[in-house]
Amino acid sequence: MTAIAERIGARHGTSRTRSITYGILFLVTGLAIILLFARPTAPAQISTFDLTVRADPRLMLVPQIVLPTRLTLYVFAALSALAGVWQLVAGFRRANWALGGVALIFIVAFLTWATRDGSLNVVSLLRTAFLRSVPLALAALSGVLCERSAVINISIEGMMLMGAFVGAIMGSLALNVLGWSFAVSQGFGLLSALGSGALLGLLLAVLSVRFKVDQIIAGTAINILATGVTSFFSARILSQYRFLNNPGIIPPFAIPVLSAIPIIGPVFFDHNLLVYVMMVLLIGIHVMLWYTVWGLRTRSVGEHPRAADTLGIDVFRNRYINVTAGGMVAALGGAFLVLASVGRFDRLMTAGKGFIGLAAMIFGNWTPFGAFGAATIFGFADALQTRLAILRVPIPSQFLLMTPYIVTIIVLAGVVGEANPPAADGQPYEKE
Amino acid sequence: MRKTLVTVVSLLTVLALFVACAPEDLVEPDFQAGMVTDIGGIDDASFNETSWRGMEIARDDLGITVDYLESGAPTDYVPNITEFLEADYGMIVTVGFLLAGDTYTFAEENPDTFFAIVDFGWAPGMWDEAQSPRLDNLQGLLFSTDEAAFLAGYVAAGMTQTGIIGTFGGLEIPTVTIFMDAFEAGAQYYNQQHGTNVQVLGTDLFVGNFESTEDGRRVGEDLIAEGADIIMPVAGPVGLGTAAAVQANPGTMLIGVDTDWCVSAPEFCDVMLTSVEKRMDVAVSTSIRQAYEGQFQGGTNFVGTLENEGVQISPFNEFEDQVPDELKAAVDEVRQGIIAGTIDTGFDLGAE
Repeated sequence: MTAIAERIGARHGTSRTRSITYGILFLVTGLAIILLFARPTAPAQISTFDLTVRADPRLMLVPQIVLPTRLTLYVFAALSALAGVWQLVAGFRRANWALGGVALIFIVAFLTWATRDGSLNVVSLLRTAFLRSVPLALAALSGVLCERSAVINISIEGMMLMGAFVGAIMGSLALNVLGWSFAVSQGFGLLSALGSGALLGLLLAVLSVRFKVDQIIAGTAINILATGVTSFFSARILSQYRFLNNPGIIPPFAIPVLSAIPIIGPVFFDHNLLVYVMMVLLIGIHVMLWYTVWGLRTRSVGEHPRAADTLGIDVFRNRYINVTAGGMVAALGGAFLVLASVGRFDRLMTAGKGFIGLAAMIFGNWTPFGAFGAATIFGFADALQTRLAILRVPIPSQFLLMTPYIVTIIVLAGVVGEANPPAADGQPYEKE
Repeated sequence: MRKTLVTVVSLLTVLALFVACAPEDLVEPDFQAGMVTDIGGIDDASFNETSWRGMEIARDDLGITVDYLESGAPTDYVPNITEFLEADYGMIVTVGFLLAGDTYTFAEENPDTFFAIVDFGWAPGMWDEAQSPRLDNLQGLLFSTDEAAFLAGYVAAGMTQTGIIGTFGGLEIPTVTIFMDAFEAGAQYYNQQHGTNVQVLGTDLFVGNFESTEDGRRVGEDLIAEGADIIMPVAGPVGLGTAAAVQANPGTMLIGVDTDWCVSAPEFCDVMLTSVEKRMDVAVSTSIRQAYEGQFQGGTNFVGTLENEGVQISPFNEFEDQVPDELKAAVDEVRQGIIAGTIDTGFDLGAE
């Protein structure tokens, strides 16, 4: 056994114990699928998966997938066990990917079991997962912008809340008081929200760059400020003047051709404008960070501001710009909740999404796509939790609500490994 | 430099504090009644707002001073109650199950102040008389919500086109689950009577908070995707997000809770089939009036039922014409049956 482990370790340069643990874990997963799911299932039970969101004539209808529950579960168990044997005997080249794969098999097996004698709309599950990840991804992107230039932004939550509030009230003002057209009003609400985010971002930048305040304290102050201001005006103004809290919702726009693709279309390409904006921002920030002068400067300011300064980069200016932009992206996340989702502001409606976005950024290793991936996992866990409750899985609701966090722990501990923040993250820069 | 920094941060903090809890200007009155909200806010279109309306009714009828303090988090309950006590308020109304422990403790320690708590009282599963003996200065305001939610489930089962109706809750606490379970019981009673097979989705579904309207929208879409066409969210303002989801999916309807949502959220009236009303305003104003008049019913529960109209279902409003007359007649019959005790909702508060 030790000999095998040494071979695996030597060949792949990963720790032996870790390799063996993975192999055993895969085998145990296979066994668990049999014992927990396959054994208690009757041979005649079937699981039905719907693949069309709704009977929309524009969409290509995809037939349901009907699977014999027990047989399918045995197949999943076998796949997982095979992966375990392979890992122990030969070893996967990328063991972390194998771990992800086996985790996926387990989730699908779990869903197959949970769906026995029932049906589950898979496409709608994925669609919800994606939509739930949008505000989280915007919050995480805001974090990426700020922290890549070494300013920790824990006030994303407050900025989102402010963006949501300003978006609601200004959009309503334009629509219901000034009588502007729907599209113009929505644009006005959105721009105002971005403006409020920019202001809060600028405030954070001034506090942490110019005054070198502890960034956690500055961020907390902004969170308290945003919570207080929005709750106060919500109770005193919005609850009395309802027309100021009714900006309407941006209608969905299905992208031609792409939205007609079965499964992928309804999941990614049948949403409203702000969802597409998020996708564009994601790609944009990725490209900007890694392929432009601004990106290189930002990263060097985040890693080693002194060196950057020596080379003539204006560290302060870079941080001002990035944190202000970060505030705008966070506010966009808040505006999404109001203008693209529920069409009204309610106090504390962000309910911690800013902080979860921050976690997604760390989890995604301070990269845009990593952060988006993490946000998607959180979104999926939330969506999954809902479906499991609808399917009446006999697990107490408190445990189901833990799903996103359990997933986080597993993925953080297993797949991501070491966190790798910008070296100067959180440290104010002192010019000599 | 350092001074500027200290000034900026302290100014910010002070501003934030001011804005967060600016109290009303207090005039010196004879009788003051204060209300401590649960998290969710005074404008939650739910129990805080309805209870506050009861306070306002008492103010207008009796000419007393009323005020509220909002709890942003469970850690605010004690400071808020203390603030009213220190300002010598004659009566303190607390809103919600989550404040039960603190309310009882304060009532015990301050026998000269009247306390009433919405959604709690002396009943099995709540204050057990062995451990929490009845206090003369504390009244429980309870509601047989099950009776009205049962009716709503019955109506929904009669109105569904897909044969599937849905519900979900904020947190898994008794005052929430009683709506959801009775809603299901009502639908099942309809099934029994009519030989139909209407399914109820989401009786184990909770979003885990009472704030995120976004969660409400997503969960609403999930239920619709699984076939539900009538949804009853039991999660305060979270349900307004569900209303947006329902509005975006033609053919689906919503059932409100606590108040008539056609009145409290008129922008969604076009999708509101009905609402399960819990007349907390009636209970609160009655309790204050009794305290003001020296007739306070301490140590007892006020129990709102279909019979005393402490609970009811709202008019069908915009769906008045679409609900068939036979269904309306059947609902009336079920209502009479519940009042007479011939129909069992499956619940018994066990409270007197």
